Amino acid sequence: MATKRRNLFLYLAIACFIGIIAIFITDGYIGVYDAIYIPMGERQQKIEADQWEEWDEDGRAEVGWGEKAIFRYEVDNRQFSTYSADIEVSVWHTEEKVRDLLSQQVSIAAFDKGQLQWVIDTAELLPGGAPEQGYEFTVIIKRGEIERKIIVYMYPLHPPK
Amino acid sequence: MRLEYILVGFGILLCLAGIGYLAAEYVKYLSEVGKLVSLFLTVGMFAFLGKYFEALGW
Repeated sequence: MATKRRNLFLYLAIACFIGIIAIFITDGYIGVYDAIYIPMGERQQKIEADQWEEWDEDGRAEVGWGEKAIFRYEVDNRQFSTYSADIEVSVWHTEEKVRDLLSQQVSIAAFDKGQLQWVIDTAELLPGGAPEQGYEFTVIIKRGEIERKIIVYMYPLHPPK
Repeated sequence: MRLEYILVGFGILLCLAGIGYLAAEYVKYLSEVGKLVSLFLTVGMFAFLGKYFEALGW
């Protein structure tokens, strides 16, 4: 009787362990996750799927006027079925759309990744010349119901003489 | 008997290492409900393990 009761505790502990693993797999791994590579001057920075919220608050990409800002958007489909969505990318400034950059339907196979890349020519975006105090605009990425915002700071570029 | 203890200890270490690895990798992707249920299950797991070893005579 004592052995049965003792083994019951062990089985319950194992059941809890299996439950934790199941939650990590179904809730933590399975799903669709997106990440983006943004320009930070000469470097590129990756914003991971779990960093979007903090980036919405105080993050921004940086690019010099006259340079080309290269963005790479990555969608990781960790599902057992193919993932399809319409992806729209546009540039906004003070709540007004400046231009559309991209509109494309993506279809990603199960447990595969899809990538999209676009380039913003800052001289074309602000043809009047380099901004004296810097200039901010927003890149909005719409993937189905999900909307991501990246604020881009354009700084005046003074090349070495 | 001593071998049994060593095997159980090794098993516990593997479990802890596995949970630690998964926690470090995927806890950031868990929803709030998932985190809460995981916490309860972790507490339950250690509680039942404690009762098991208590029943063993430790």
